[in-house]
Amino acid sequence: MPSSLLSIEAVSKKFGAFQALHQIDLEVQQGEFIALLGPSGCGKTTLLRTLAGFLHPDAGRILIEGRDIGKLPPHQRPLNTVFQNYALFPHMTVMENVCYGPRRQGMSKSEALKQAQAALAMMGLEGFADRLPRQLSGGQQQRVALARAVVNRPKLLLLDEPLSALDLKLRKRMQLELKQLQNQLGIAFVFVTHDQEEALTMADRIVVMNAGRIEQVGPGDHIYDRPATHFVADFIGEANLLGCHVDESGQLHFAIGGRHPLKDQATVQGDYTAIIRPEHLRLEPASTGRDAPGLRLDVTILDVVNMGSHQMLYVKAGGQALAIRRMGPQQDWLSPGLPAVATLATDDLHLVRGLP
Amino acid sequence: MISRNLRPLLLLLAAPIAFFATFFVAPIAVVALASFATDAGQFTWSHYLRILADQYHWEVILATFRIGIVTTLACIVIGYPLAWYMVRIIRLKTWRRICVILLIVPLFTSNIVRSFGWMVLLGRNGLVNDMLVSTGIVERPMRFLGTETGIIIGLTYILLPFIVLAVGNVLAQLDTSLEHASCDLGASAPSTFWHITLPLSLPGLIAGAIMVFALAVSAYVTPALLSGGKVTVLSILIFQQYSSVFDFHYGGALSMVLLILTLILVAMAGRIRGKHLDGVA
Repeated sequence: MPSSLLSIEAVSKKFGAFQALHQIDLEVQQGEFIALLGPSGCGKTTLLRTLAGFLHPDAGRILIEGRDIGKLPPHQRPLNTVFQNYALFPHMTVMENVCYGPRRQGMSKSEALKQAQAALAMMGLEGFADRLPRQLSGGQQQRVALARAVVNRPKLLLLDEPLSALDLKLRKRMQLELKQLQNQLGIAFVFVTHDQEEALTMADRIVVMNAGRIEQVGPGDHIYDRPATHFVADFIGEANLLGCHVDESGQLHFAIGGRHPLKDQATVQGDYTAIIRPEHLRLEPASTGRDAPGLRLDVTILDVVNMGSHQMLYVKAGGQALAIRRMGPQQDWLSPGLPAVATLATDDLHLVRGLP
Repeated sequence: MISRNLRPLLLLLAAPIAFFATFFVAPIAVVALASFATDAGQFTWSHYLRILADQYHWEVILATFRIGIVTTLACIVIGYPLAWYMVRIIRLKTWRRICVILLIVPLFTSNIVRSFGWMVLLGRNGLVNDMLVSTGIVERPMRFLGTETGIIIGLTYILLPFIVLAVGNVLAQLDTSLEHASCDLGASAPSTFWHITLPLSLPGLIAGAIMVFALAVSAYVTPALLSGGKVTVLSILIFQQYSSVFDFHYGGALSMVLLILTLILVAMAGRIRGKHLDGVA
């Protein structure tokens, strides 16, 4: 088994009484694209700054290719950072900005210029070498910041919400470009974001963080389909959370009424939360027969919202509101106040421990 | 033709322009004209020729600018780290505020009082000499009063706040992520200071230095009190011409020389700023 590029072992960090990082363990492989995802204050930026060396962990180790870098100052670490506000040097031209890293590491001027030219060409910035950062647009500044970091050929590139200052359209384009760039360079990226869509679009693996802890690590589809905790289910995408109980005979009883035999015999007795994605629920007219396998809930339609490509249906079942995403045309029986039947394939039922 | 919209604007500007003309332009014009006139009101170069020809005047001019430059350098060397301490090192807000107050309060006191204070401190039996002798740094008390060193010490003390405030202001506004980025790109702390922090704080440093220099070469009270009549600077010479000799023409010529030499040096400092920091706010 190849040793991982980056190993974070039981890293903790406190600011006064506030536990910013709590026993963080994470392995990052060569060339991997990792997204640190979580709400603000979850510790993702603290973790990134700890990796970069601007903060020092209270406990734990940080290893790159087996070497402990936890005590090294930022300038001796074999990684580079793209800052949220880009942090381009305002008194230097684009070329001087990009040459800065190679020059400080002792590269000759002519060699540094050659490297910087190649990095700028890769970013499509050939014509901008003599401009000052403030003469560039936000997207161009973003590219300069990337060129300035990758010209050093780091083993690991840290990105601190680098797209958050761009407008939506440009952000979408940069997401794809970043992903391409990362494939092309083969450098591992650790990307901090609070935008789940960004994380799902780009990352090989997503690290979901909350309150200084890692909630779940895994590929995007896995995290979406099989969230490990309530928090992950709620944070990534939309989810209906239904309280339920599994009895000794393996029957699932919903708090809102209705029961369902469980396929998975390993599920032990106790309280659970069923996590049901809106697109997995199907809404059918109340007259539909009971022949379909899977879960079946009698509901009342509360509201129908047309979203263009699909409709969002809000229904009530046993006192709890559920969201259902429905593709296809508007129909007569889809009107508020009418009864209907919501069905769910057994495979789409996902349980996590504990009541919601 | 002045357009209709411009007229109210000009009316608003009239008062400040009149004030500026009366109290800034007119006095300089009067002095400049006097410096080119004989007692009979004839045009003459003679006052300037007299200054150029006289070796004594050159010595005074040299002493004046030597004191000005050394004072400015001393203020930079002491003031920059002090500003750094106040902006970057102090974490406690209250303590920072106290430091700023301590720095500014002396500005409310008269120069004369503070210069007298230095006369006491720098005297043969003053606090400074007591300390130097008792710690064994010097064997016998040093002579500060009546030397350029004494004047430089006094001026440095009085003018220090200007440079600390100017530098502190730019340091406080400097985005620390730029320094982080520099470290991240492989620059050590000294290298980051040299390549990033210093160039970006240069506008404040130069603005402060220009202020200190201009005030140092034109200072009268501090040099007059601390020189004990043994060191003469241009401002003392000018004062003598106006108050004792009553030669307004010659005093005017000396004033113009001081003004022009100062402007030349300030322009040179401004060029440094323009060259290295084109357009950096």
